[in-house]
Amino acid sequence: MDSHEKILLVDDDPDFLEMHKAVLKNHGYEVLTATSSQEGLERVRAELPDLIILDLMMEKHDAGFSFTRTIKTDPLFKDIPILMVTSVAEATGFRFSLEEDGYWMKADDFLDKPVQPAVLVERVARLLKGRRAR
Amino acid sequence: MTPLANILVVDDEIGIGQGCKRVLSAEGYEVDWAEDGTLGLAKIQEKPYDLMLVDLMMPGIGGLDLIRKVHDADPEIIIVVITGYATIDTAVEATKRGAYDYLPKPFAPEVLAGLVKRGLEKRDLRLEAQRLHHEREERLLELAGQKSRLRTIIGCMADGVLVANLERQLVLWNSSAVRMLKLSGADTPDQPLTHYLKNASIIEAFQEVLSGKDKDLSMITREIQLEDPGLVLMAQLAPVRDEGGTLLGAVAVLRDITKLKEIEKLKSQFVSMVAHELRSPLAAIEGWLEVVLSGAAGGGEAQRQAWLARAKERAHSLLGLVNDLLEINRIEAGKVAQKMEPVRMAEVVQKTVEFFRREAEGKGLSLKVDLPDSLPAVQADRQDMEKLFTNLISNAIKYNVERGSITVEATVDENFIAVRVRDTGLGIPADQLPRIFEDFFRVNDERTSKICGTGLGLTICQRIVDSHFGHIEVESEPGRGSTFSVYLPYLRTQTKDKQGLP
Repeated sequence: MDSHEKILLVDDDPDFLEMHKAVLKNHGYEVLTATSSQEGLERVRAELPDLIILDLMMEKHDAGFSFTRTIKTDPLFKDIPILMVTSVAEATGFRFSLEEDGYWMKADDFLDKPVQPAVLVERVARLLKGRRAR
Repeated sequence: MTPLANILVVDDEIGIGQGCKRVLSAEGYEVDWAEDGTLGLAKIQEKPYDLMLVDLMMPGIGGLDLIRKVHDADPEIIIVVITGYATIDTAVEATKRGAYDYLPKPFAPEVLAGLVKRGLEKRDLRLEAQRLHHEREERLLELAGQKSRLRTIIGCMADGVLVANLERQLVLWNSSAVRMLKLSGADTPDQPLTHYLKNASIIEAFQEVLSGKDKDLSMITREIQLEDPGLVLMAQLAPVRDEGGTLLGAVAVLRDITKLKEIEKLKSQFVSMVAHELRSPLAAIEGWLEVVLSGAAGGGEAQRQAWLARAKERAHSLLGLVNDLLEINRIEAGKVAQKMEPVRMAEVVQKTVEFFRREAEGKGLSLKVDLPDSLPAVQADRQDMEKLFTNLISNAIKYNVERGSITVEATVDENFIAVRVRDTGLGIPADQLPRIFEDFFRVNDERTSKICGTGLGLTICQRIVDSHFGHIEVESEPGRGSTFSVYLPYLRTQTKDKQGLP
């Protein structure tokens, strides 16, 4: 587990940032953090991460959507997989899924908050494997 | 004993007069006699008569003239003409002019009595008929009055009213209905429903009631969204049935529930926001516990302790959030929960400041208070006032900078006392300023994200101030600090008393 792949965490809740960072670091990843989509975009441009984990509900309700659109329409970054973590699903009755929302949401995978560490690690590994295979 | 009837005999022949009197008195009538027409007319002015016996051939006023004059005075008097053979034609003429009958001279007493009896019966019948007619007139008038009263009441109703008959024609409506539905062509009555109504849902509801398919139907309720004007109406349609249960039409009552729907929407938004706000700290707590329990993030004992402390911190803030929600609920529950009494604001502010002094000084902040001695009392709930200044001063401490200061000062104008809480803190960006009193809104930047808060503190402040008929204002400059000003109406009587003192 010494991949040193770079993962960018974008979340406005410092607890989740730190928690996911601890879990991912423990699994050998290098972890970057950002607390806003603006900061997140800056870090993507500066650090070119291998994976982005993004909280959907940030400062503005559509921040997650515009963030993914910006990344996925940029030829430099469009291949970076995005794992969308969200707590809106149950609260609003909406359920995001790759099949239904993938076309316009442009994220590569979705997870509901709170994320089980094991699940997080498993999904991250799968997305990174897919990226390496490309 | 009351006589059966009053009878007047007008005849210049005294024999006839007295004969009639004798015969008719015996029958139980009261009989008077007048010698000629002029005297007869004078008599009917003095006393009401039911029947008159009039000789046609008299000196002075003639019989025919007398009939006219009597009937001018009282059209209900029955007149029987007494006449000799030679004047039968005149007698016939007299009956044409309103006399009841005629009696040829000489006449037998029983003929006289019989004729008078029939005449009086005729009079009774006529009076009865008149009474009935009059009564009916009165009732119709009353009905017309009721009808117009009902029209007026329906016209004044805040709810819209529409009535349609079985022919699908609109037969009654009021101005509220015209306004709500923008009824067109309301000046031409009795047209088909679709002539006036454009809303498909309400037409369809009318059709359903008017179809009469469901014999037990008592009411249909529809919610109607109108684009223009932007209204939400609750329409309740009920069949109109007669006493026998036969369907006659349908009545619709429309109520404007736009405001209610807005409140309902706000409430449900609030609930979903609350759910989200409760979920975030709970998810964080669960996340930390999971990290520690699963060991997924590794870490030594000290690290695990630190993570658990984070979970505890979030649990603590969750508790604060729940307390704030309860606080809002208490204010919302309203005046019932409030105990209004004259409260000395200087006392409350001073007490709150002292409560925070240690915390402020611990952070190197200076806390200054400048309250005039003459601050009038405010009719307020003491607990609410304490909560209000606790929230404002606590914010001034939380969002301050190192070596900053907090100043609490008060002024009085002719209507309000103003208490200002001024800090030298982070300030609020202009674009976020209008939103700071919104539920759960928190100024979002790097520095504030480290500060605990529920986003409800200022909401609570605003609700408290509102419930005391005051207002709260904020001025702020990023990097310079913020000033929150609370304006509360004070007790006027007290100032008057003061003015009244020597």
